[in-house]
Amino acid sequence: MILSKLQLHLSKVFLMIFLRDRQSIFFSLFFPIIFMTVFGFVNNGQQEPLNIGVVNESDSVVAADFVQQLKDSLVFNVTIGTEGLLRSELEEGDQTMVLVIPEIFNTANLDRQSVELRILVDAAQLAQLSLVMPLLEQTLIEIEREFRDTEPMFSLVIEDVQARSQSYLDFLLPGLMAFTLMQLSIAGSGYNIIEFRRKGILKRLFVTPIQPKDFITAIVLARTTIVLTQLFVLITFAVLVLDVQIIGSFAAFFFVVILGTFIFLNLGFCLGSIAKTQQAAIMIGNIVIFPQIFLSGVFYPIESMPEFVQPVANVLPLSFVSTGMRDIANEGVSLLAIMPSLIGIAVWLVVSYVLATRLFVWKEVAN
Amino acid sequence: MPIIEIENFTKTYPLPDNKNETFCAVDGVSLLIETGEVFGILGPNGAGKTTTLEMLEGLNDIDGGHATIDGIDVQSCPFKIKEIIGVQLQASEYFDNLSLVELLTLFGALYSHDIDPTALLEKVQLLDKAKAKPANLSGGQKQRFSIACALVNKPKVLFLDEPTTGLDPQAKRNIWDLVQNLNNNGMTIVLTTHNMEEAESLCHRIAIMDHGKIVAEGTPQSLILQHAPEPPEAPLHGNLEDVFLVLTGHALRD
Repeated sequence: MILSKLQLHLSKVFLMIFLRDRQSIFFSLFFPIIFMTVFGFVNNGQQEPLNIGVVNESDSVVAADFVQQLKDSLVFNVTIGTEGLLRSELEEGDQTMVLVIPEIFNTANLDRQSVELRILVDAAQLAQLSLVMPLLEQTLIEIEREFRDTEPMFSLVIEDVQARSQSYLDFLLPGLMAFTLMQLSIAGSGYNIIEFRRKGILKRLFVTPIQPKDFITAIVLARTTIVLTQLFVLITFAVLVLDVQIIGSFAAFFFVVILGTFIFLNLGFCLGSIAKTQQAAIMIGNIVIFPQIFLSGVFYPIESMPEFVQPVANVLPLSFVSTGMRDIANEGVSLLAIMPSLIGIAVWLVVSYVLATRLFVWKEVAN
Repeated sequence: MPIIEIENFTKTYPLPDNKNETFCAVDGVSLLIETGEVFGILGPNGAGKTTTLEMLEGLNDIDGGHATIDGIDVQSCPFKIKEIIGVQLQASEYFDNLSLVELLTLFGALYSHDIDPTALLEKVQLLDKAKAKPANLSGGQKQRFSIACALVNKPKVLFLDEPTTGLDPQAKRNIWDLVQNLNNNGMTIVLTTHNMEEAESLCHRIAIMDHGKIVAEGTPQSLILQHAPEPPEAPLHGNLEDVFLVLTGHALRD
């Protein structure tokens, strides 16, 4: 396809209009960057240590050793104190649980009878307990083995097959980029067209010899450039500042980005043709955008959603785009491997293109 | 030799309060507009002036009749028509954040013409505003800029829809001078107006429209001779406004 001088000139104009609109540049980058940064700090892969209180009523070496092991553990933040003090701290919620080591906790007793350790808990924190209990038991078993001098019969070795650690941010970035792409595209064709019409700009253009295909080509060209640039800024920020990993091919990744942009530009043209006022456009636009924010696996995987929404969620255009982008970015697979997503994208491209060409009648859109 | 020939133009719309009934916004309008003249279309609001212009410009469908501009059929060759006409619409804004020069260059590109924006701005006395944004122009400057945009393709016919409505006397005179200037260089100009003084001083011929029909047509002088009230009813000989009111009545329009 050869672009005409007019098409190039008009897309340059659309780019200039966007570049001079500092506010919309700022806000289109602001949301995803803030979102990523917040999640980057909150979800740094490390669990906050749990506060536990320990009442040590025994003066034995074993007890001291046990307390030391708890202190050494990254999972716990240990406070030593009297039962009365720690109990009130527990009631106020400062401690997750209080462990009472009895006086008889020593090696001499270990052989003869089992020693009971009391645990005081706040029932409201029960969920945390299920995490803590196995760890405590494990620590006790290890101490016991040491003193009885027995070797464990079994031991579990955990091997990570994914070879690299994946944080929530790695998961989030492609979804967030797909979301940004959708917003920018729908705004570029849909909301812009309505604004141009309201101002009488389209009517003025209509009385010049410009062909609708020139107008559409220029919008598509300018918007695709804007989307690619904005996403490039986001990806650079994520990789350099937040240490997000992209392991797939950039070419394949941006190929999916471009196809996705075309889908949402088409849907934007439909929106701009149907909606007569900016208010109507925002309402109709939200019907398209909102379900996709929640259902398209942008923020969490579609598999984790209730079973009855999954069939719907799976066929939304943004699902195909974000899944395709994520598979490439997180798993480094080729375009061939994401064929199901590509087929979905292709179907949406055709559907949205047919809809857009039916609905976008230059004379009616301009008037 | 006429450059615009309109024959029996009709435009019907469904009534706003009763969709089954229609009314004629333009009802059998026929006009011949000569090459090189300034032709005025007068009429109360809702008379069908703008609709008639929009049908010529391709903005509105032609329900009945047909028209040619410079021998080109308006309905079958809209894009050829667009090449040879210049249009100033009643109200139009332009892209935000673009300067006058950038906008004129864009309009040139729309016609695939390389243009000299400064020469055009000079013609409409806006050279000192070359880097300004249209939003920062006064009413008169905006109208002059709209005319500059309509001139980028050196049109054979220039359509001006109420070019002086809402302007102060100075700005109004300024537009008149501009129109006269363009006309002196041979451009045919078709304008609509509510201003009788404007019609009388600017237009070679005028047509008065009401209820979608042309009720009178001719030079301002001939219309005054034919339709102005006799001296006893008005001092001396009456003026074009008297003609207008006699022909269209005193009832208020929306």
